[in-house]
Amino acid sequence: MKLPWIRRGEIDDEIRAHLRLAIEDRVARGESPAEAERLARLELGNDLLVRERTRDVWAGVGFERWLQDLRYALRRVRRSPGFATIAILTLALGLGAVTSTFAIVNSVLLEPLHYRDGSRLFSVVNLPPPGAPNRYWLINGRHFYEWRAHCRSCQDIGMAESIGFSLSGSGETERFSGLRVSYNFFRTLDVAPALGRDFRADEELAGHVLILSDAVWRTRFAADPGVVGRTVRVSGEPYEIVGVMPAGFRLPLGRQWGPAFGPPDTQPAMFRPLGQDFSKVGPDGNNNYVAVVRLKAGISPSQTISELNALIADFVRQFGIEPKPTLLPLQHTMVRDARDGLLLLFGIAITTLLIVCVNVGNLMLVRAASRDREIGIRAALGSSRQQLFVLILTETLVLVAIGSIAGFILAKAALAAFSAWAPRDIPRLADIHAGPRVWVMTMAAAVVATLVCGLLPAWRMTSADPHRALKAGALTHTEHGRKIRLRELMVGIEVALSSVLLVVGALLATSFLRVLSVPKGVAIEHVITQDVSTSIAGVTDDDRIRFAGEALQRLAAIPGVLDVGVTNQLPLRGESWICGLRDAGPPNHKEIALANFRFVSPGFWDATGTRIRQGGAFRESDRERPVALISEHAARVLWPGQDPIGKHVGGCNGAVSLEVVGVVDDVRAEMEKEAPVTVYQPYWTMPISRPYFVVRTRERPETVAGDVRAALHAVNPEFAVGQAMTMQEIVESSVNGRRFQMNLVVAFAAFALVLASLGIYGVLSFSVARRTPELGIRLALGARATALGAMVVRQGMAPVLGGLVVGLIGAIAAGRAISSELYGVPPNDLPTFAAVAILLLLVGLCASWLPARRAMRTNPLKALRFE
Amino acid sequence: MKARDRQRLELLQGTLDMIVLRTLSWGPQHGYGISQMIRTASGEVLQVETGSLYPALHRLERQGWLRSEWKQSENKQRTKVYRLTPAGRKQLVAQQSQWDRLHAAIDGLMNARESPA
Repeated sequence: MKLPWIRRGEIDDEIRAHLRLAIEDRVARGESPAEAERLARLELGNDLLVRERTRDVWAGVGFERWLQDLRYALRRVRRSPGFATIAILTLALGLGAVTSTFAIVNSVLLEPLHYRDGSRLFSVVNLPPPGAPNRYWLINGRHFYEWRAHCRSCQDIGMAESIGFSLSGSGETERFSGLRVSYNFFRTLDVAPALGRDFRADEELAGHVLILSDAVWRTRFAADPGVVGRTVRVSGEPYEIVGVMPAGFRLPLGRQWGPAFGPPDTQPAMFRPLGQDFSKVGPDGNNNYVAVVRLKAGISPSQTISELNALIADFVRQFGIEPKPTLLPLQHTMVRDARDGLLLLFGIAITTLLIVCVNVGNLMLVRAASRDREIGIRAALGSSRQQLFVLILTETLVLVAIGSIAGFILAKAALAAFSAWAPRDIPRLADIHAGPRVWVMTMAAAVVATLVCGLLPAWRMTSADPHRALKAGALTHTEHGRKIRLRELMVGIEVALSSVLLVVGALLATSFLRVLSVPKGVAIEHVITQDVSTSIAGVTDDDRIRFAGEALQRLAAIPGVLDVGVTNQLPLRGESWICGLRDAGPPNHKEIALANFRFVSPGFWDATGTRIRQGGAFRESDRERPVALISEHAARVLWPGQDPIGKHVGGCNGAVSLEVVGVVDDVRAEMEKEAPVTVYQPYWTMPISRPYFVVRTRERPETVAGDVRAALHAVNPEFAVGQAMTMQEIVESSVNGRRFQMNLVVAFAAFALVLASLGIYGVLSFSVARRTPELGIRLALGARATALGAMVVRQGMAPVLGGLVVGLIGAIAAGRAISSELYGVPPNDLPTFAAVAILLLLVGLCASWLPARRAMRTNPLKALRFE
Repeated sequence: MKARDRQRLELLQGTLDMIVLRTLSWGPQHGYGISQMIRTASGEVLQVETGSLYPALHRLERQGWLRSEWKQSENKQRTKVYRLTPAGRKQLVAQQSQWDRLHAAIDGLMNARESPA
């Protein structure tokens, strides 16, 4: 098939050649060139006309014909702006949703990490003993030391711990979270600093050297390339900056590494060497570390897993602890928590696109019915069925093409919005972009959309019998068989898909409410928290403890403050300070679980509103007495069915045996997880480098924020006071991701519901309009208007009911597929399903009601006068 | 197009198509060559207008009876050369026999003596 403009050029060339040959011929016969040209031109005649006639021969063939169809389709689209607008807008929304969610899924889940040979990178985690509350434990620094020294299937294995950095030396003191790492940590990842150098082996134990992240380099050091070699103060000690990591360098976030590994949602800002000899650490060590291993080429993870286990077998035997190191692909480490949620969004978007397609197809079908005569005439004039098919498909193509361009623009905007507003715990958020794969996806989605929207109407219309189409007067319609069933089928599909979306949206909304109303163990109202960093050079452990004590007194003196407390970690901010839980009384000292340790003041529970169930809080006068309170969960784990008061529990900071003086309500560390096993020790037993003060107020908690800040500043002006947060804000931020997801899904579901009602309404009102004469006859023959209305409603509700049944069955499967995203509601929750069914039935009734009313108001005289 | 035009055109077209096919049965040729051959072979009686010839050639090509390709002529000029396809050859045979029958019939009719009965 030749393109029309190429053919045009060829014809011009051909005629020109003809003229040239004629002239040459004449010259050869002895005519003068000028004369020859004049005569040859005369003989040729009007060459414009010749060319045009020759071109006309090809009109209506192949591409030319399609161009005609295209022009015709464009004209038709322009002539019905209402239909075109709805179709294009909804298609743009559907295609935009699919494109943007695919871009997200693609950049987050599918594209490999930016590490060389990333498939050989794994993170090492410990599987806890069966029955322990956590899914993974962090690893033990002592074990790492064995692995690095002896693992033969590992090409390299690096370790890191999350720590805080108080940076001073240029500008005011600022707090950052970062990592202390083994010297070979970056070498294992095979990432070199973009500026400067990596750590050296001899720096691991005592090197005062620092590598910055790109982000800190830009914000704090104004992207100064001369920063390498400069000395800054970290927690009061001089450190030399030796390198800056590349801009694209990403590590898993705290929560992705495992429970209680540093701040959950931030990339480390800077790195320093471990500064500790782990071969000298007590072999029961603590599980506070993460490790990254690069396997040698050709080694399978299972080989390495058994080697890692073998290397620490001695420790395991010796101390009766049962960690089982295992490997997770580093990519999986980063995305596992977000995976289901993102796939859910993608699935929702695809379903929405399907609904949009069916809806557009349905509208086209309704429109098509009024084209029966036109199609019939075309067929009678000799258009082949194939030509008609292409003609109708082209019209859909025009809509889809415009829709997909708009959709792509929409997707770009949606991606920008997503990157800006999505909760920070979605991994690789900064990597999200729309690349070539996304283009391909848009194209594929557009093609599928064209097929779904265009195929059915095209097929349906071209199978019309031209005789019947021409014979039947335009207004004498009763509804005949097949066509109506097809339209109803499409309405049914829309209803089915919508009910799936609605159920998913309702389940997520219910989950969201359940999460909010979960017993958190703390009061939400009238509580404000404030953190302070005490990491400055020269500050001793005693200074820190004394600071906390003085600060508590000052805070309590602020007017409007009811209770004050201090803690090493706030509720609902993730698990942290994990040590083994031991029954310190005879007969054994075995670790039976991991516990969160909290170092708090006596007034802490009053300040957070946590109830003390048994016994009471320790007092300032207990300073010389080793005491602790435990959570209910801890009591259940340690001494099921017994009175824990007076028993002894193992401490975290070397305090081997603590007398239990009280049991408090469980307090959640994460909204959606059972409260962890928690042990509370007095704050004076542990110097806290970053204490959080908790203040309960009489009035709105924000009103005292300034006073709290001033009071803390007054105690020690050198300590950096952090960002105050009310308990309300803490709760909000912890349900942020869920709220975001729920809002998106509910918006999609609402959109689907609107489309479905549009479909029902469109089909019914068209059918009523076509049947006006029939309805008139029925009325004239004595049918009651209400009966006619009921008939129309019945006709409208039939596909709704059918679609609903199919959709609810599909929703059971969908609910099961998203069960990991649900909280406190079973995937086949009966009230949710019932509510969705009722909602859809009501919407169906409303959408049928308007056409039904029109049918009831048919004036028989007017209706029949059309004949 | 007016009905009268089309009738005349169709008649011309049918005959012209046959003549073009016949000309090309002697070998591949470009448009100018075809018009010259028709002229010579008919003893200068038939003269095909360019405005009819080229549409006819393209029509026959579209129907699959001719194939065309661009060729360099002896003096390095590009010309479009047509050749008969097997389908075209068949078509020529069919048209030729139809023409022969028509010719014989018209000839018999025109040259018959007045019938005695």
